[in-house]
Amino acid sequence: MILTAAKIQAARDSGDLMIDPFEPGRLSPNAYDWRLGEQIRLCDGILDAAAVTRCEEHLIPVTGMVLWPENLYLGLTLERTCSVRYAQLLNGNRHIGALGIWVHVSAPLGHVGHAIQWTLEIRVVRPVRVYPRMTFGKLVFLYVHGDHDSYQQIGAKYAATAGIGLSRLHEELAGRRPGDQP
Amino acid sequence: MILTGPEITAAAADGRIRITPFTPAQVNPNSYNVRLGPLLLVYTSDIIDACQPNPTRPVPIGEAGVVLQPGELYLGHTIEEVGSDVYVPLLFGRSSVGRLGLFVEITAPIGDIGFHGQWTLMLTPTRPLRVYPEMKIGQVMFFVSAGARDLYHGKYQGSAGPQPSRYWHDVHRDLRREAS
Repeated sequence: MILTAAKIQAARDSGDLMIDPFEPGRLSPNAYDWRLGEQIRLCDGILDAAAVTRCEEHLIPVTGMVLWPENLYLGLTLERTCSVRYAQLLNGNRHIGALGIWVHVSAPLGHVGHAIQWTLEIRVVRPVRVYPRMTFGKLVFLYVHGDHDSYQQIGAKYAATAGIGLSRLHEELAGRRPGDQP
Repeated sequence: MILTGPEITAAAADGRIRITPFTPAQVNPNSYNVRLGPLLLVYTSDIIDACQPNPTRPVPIGEAGVVLQPGELYLGHTIEEVGSDVYVPLLFGRSSVGRLGLFVEITAPIGDIGFHGQWTLMLTPTRPLRVYPEMKIGQVMFFVSAGARDLYHGKYQGSAGPQPSRYWHDVHRDLRREAS
């Protein structure tokens, strides 16, 4: 079950979820309309699951920044969100989709207890210019079934991420030697 | 409603969910992490034909890993057999994998109630990416369903290893439907 706008507002008022900054006008019928943050990381090299990702961080100028199809970009939501009661799903909205922009490559899921600015895994179909703080997508909240297990309590890797989170998969592959780096 | 981690663990213990092998350390707050099996398949023809069986070539993933190239489609599989006769499973990549630009599924995250087997992964990287066997690559979430259940008994039931598209099995049925 998905929370309606009224329920999101009520849950925020009672402390069951947090969205910061929060603007009531960004509530849509069953979602919160989140914005693109100002930082972005460009990944244009060869990647290795067993190695630290090398990519440079930029600020998106107010005049915008063109994203190119062959690159991977890691971005950030402007908002920090958290709920220990509801699971969260983050997606782009139809405007962003119609511009040929993916906002995540993997899962839209924010686990119960996640308290973060979301790292976006951005890829585009055609070159497209994006702007900082533009409305980018929808965040929905889901009821969960069963006892809760907070992301913080189990010490998960990204529980307290600040800024754009790079993959930390290499920590799980510590026994492997990264392939030859270019 | 989406199952919490403790509920996934409880359901795996009492049979509402079947995950083989099951490792408690792979349970997340709202999902279960699945690992990449050691075999990939790539289509060998220049153009894939939706209405024909398409030949494939195996790409084993050795201990040193394999570099996936953008523009190629790799069919992989989960090591784990995952399914449920009660809940609806959804498979996605993990954040750690998404941040490396790797798509783990294409357009079909939703599984069927009653499907049991290894899941086929549809791997397409954004940048060249080296992957390794047994790395935790995806996550399966489970949703509570409403209504009477009609369990899956389709052509991918009991899948072992990567499964190329078998749309061609259905194409004549589809065309007949169209004609009628």
